[in-house]
Amino acid sequence: MALTGLEIYKLLPKKNCGECGPPTCLAFAMSLAAAKTTLDLCPYVSDEAKEALGAASAPPIKLIKIGSGDKTVELGDETVLFRHDKTFFHPTGIAFEVEDSLNDAELTQKLKEINELEFDRVGLHYEVDMVAVKQTADAAQFKAAVQKIEAGTKLSLVLITEDVASAEQALEACKGRNPLLYGATANNYSEMTELAKKYSVPLGVKAENIFALSDLVEKITALGYKELVLDSGARGTSQVLADLTEVRRAAIKKKYRPFGYPTVAFATAEDPMEEIMQAQVYLTKYASVVVLKTTAKHFVLPLLTWRQNLYTDPQKPIQVETKIYEVGNVTADSPVYLTTNFSLTYFSVEGEVEGSKVPSYIIPVDTDGTSVLTAWAAGKYSAEKIAEAINTIGIADKVNHREIILPGYVAVLSGKLEEKSGWKVIVGPREAAGIPAFAKSRYGA
Amino acid sequence: MIIIGERINGMFKDIGQAVREMDPKPLQEWAIKQQEAGANYLDINTGPNAEDQVVALKWMVQVVQEVSDLPLCLDCTNFDAIEAGLEICKKPALINSCPADRPKIERVFPMAVKHNAKIIGLTMDAKGIPKNAENRIALAMELVAAADEFGLPMEDLFIDPLILPVNVAQEHAPEVLEAIKQTKLLANPAPKTVLGLSNVSQKAPDRPLINRTFLAMAMACGLDAVIADANDDPLMATAATAEILLNQSVYCDSYVKVFKSK
Repeated sequence: MALTGLEIYKLLPKKNCGECGPPTCLAFAMSLAAAKTTLDLCPYVSDEAKEALGAASAPPIKLIKIGSGDKTVELGDETVLFRHDKTFFHPTGIAFEVEDSLNDAELTQKLKEINELEFDRVGLHYEVDMVAVKQTADAAQFKAAVQKIEAGTKLSLVLITEDVASAEQALEACKGRNPLLYGATANNYSEMTELAKKYSVPLGVKAENIFALSDLVEKITALGYKELVLDSGARGTSQVLADLTEVRRAAIKKKYRPFGYPTVAFATAEDPMEEIMQAQVYLTKYASVVVLKTTAKHFVLPLLTWRQNLYTDPQKPIQVETKIYEVGNVTADSPVYLTTNFSLTYFSVEGEVEGSKVPSYIIPVDTDGTSVLTAWAAGKYSAEKIAEAINTIGIADKVNHREIILPGYVAVLSGKLEEKSGWKVIVGPREAAGIPAFAKSRYGA
Repeated sequence: MIIIGERINGMFKDIGQAVREMDPKPLQEWAIKQQEAGANYLDINTGPNAEDQVVALKWMVQVVQEVSDLPLCLDCTNFDAIEAGLEICKKPALINSCPADRPKIERVFPMAVKHNAKIIGLTMDAKGIPKNAENRIALAMELVAAADEFGLPMEDLFIDPLILPVNVAQEHAPEVLEAIKQTKLLANPAPKTVLGLSNVSQKAPDRPLINRTFLAMAMACGLDAVIADANDDPLMATAATAEILLNQSVYCDSYVKVFKSK
């Protein structure tokens, strides 16, 4: 992101002395914008101008890491407001708040629930990221809780305290884990910043509103610390949504440095269902970390599914797992349909097969997520490749017959496919919409 | 793509005569005709024969606004006439035009801000039209700095890098394309760009072919607006197609029709 001519011109001294080469500051600004000259040639340039030029070459949102080892969570470093413009790069970190007031048994139970929040679904693996320990009483109790949690989970940690002494003890208790220290406020920021520097951990910054947040970030960066995660202090869904949008927009569109950091949002609704919906809004609208309380699997799974979905690259076709799919109560006599592993293609076929009321198998051949005709044109859906897929996927063990249904548009493959696979190839309809009628006439549903 | 219909101009015989005789009919017919063809603005120019430009331009604005709700592009070198027009424009108008001359900038920019109008800024000054893209851009930068100084929103400044006839000033066309590209780097948000398209084909054969070819090329360089013949169907179809190919409008099979009705 280069600076524009106007932005540079506003930073220049406007002396029009010509010592840089071009006759006017305006002309010099344009040479700079076109990268035809360097700022050092101006003897009167201010520190502000130098800073701005540095800012132009930095990414709009800084990359911040929380945690250590293979559980490190990367936050920030995003470049767009809408995923369809490019993609979102670093999935929102999901953190679970645990209060230090829990007794031993409760704490162990809570940690167990959080550690077990791993899911396998449609060939994908989902995990959660962090445990946020919240201080409710004195430093000793907080430290004890942090120690137990540090020992009881591999997940990254967030320390929620505004008390400097407590924070120091807690940081000592989880040395080497690189937790997020949350955080710095208008009242404690200089001590908290020193602490974050000393332990070199990322620092959460919390203010009353986005204006106060901007001031506070400027004070902290003036102290020489830039490992920050931002919180505008808002807690109602609509205000958080507005603030998160403003922060992201200012960072990307205006290169506004105080907001060039990842963000943290807290889901606050009492009812877990509402809390998850709140979390979903924050996750969708730019929050880098979402902190929630509910650890129930049936609430967390939809959130993780949505996160996975939102953070996929729109440029890459979405693929289904290559395996045998069973639609309805299949038997050894059920028909077998061939298709490709492009999501759109596969689900069109699956929907129509279901509609045909004939229990069936579907085999999506791996074509790198391309449609039937695209794959065929690119040589990824040849008789050899399909035959290989049929013979390695294990469908022969599931059915008594040796008949396979080919998409009608690639009927031309049928002879060769019979030869290569040893299966009898039936040419199905060209469109998946024709499957119910095809199945009815053939299998008498 | 913003299409500014060029036809209500005293240089055309029918309009020149209508302005002289204060006959609203031809103006109103062309206003409707251009609006139906898909124009987004209507250029209003008294032509050289108007007795009193202030009176003529005001009258033209009034009669055109009687039949069309389109915003107007007030095309006049007399800034008093433009100001009189701005005062009665129902929608934020476009001032056509202001060169990169300090005295003119100081007259036009405050007037535009006061009346919530937009400005077409020409990349020329008292010395004339520059030869190359670099000098065009230097003048564009003067206009951009002026917008910032007088508080005109950058999106309301339309930089016109001045295309000249290809038969007598052939070397200018590629320089203009380069200038359009570079204009986008001057500020963020960037100023808009505009061309008086028909100039490119003055006194050349098959003018529509030259016009629409250059339009497509200029759009690929980032052209935002054009003063042109809105009733030249192939030209409008070219603009519609270029929008599709630049991913500025979502494709559909009836994209030309959609473009004209936008």
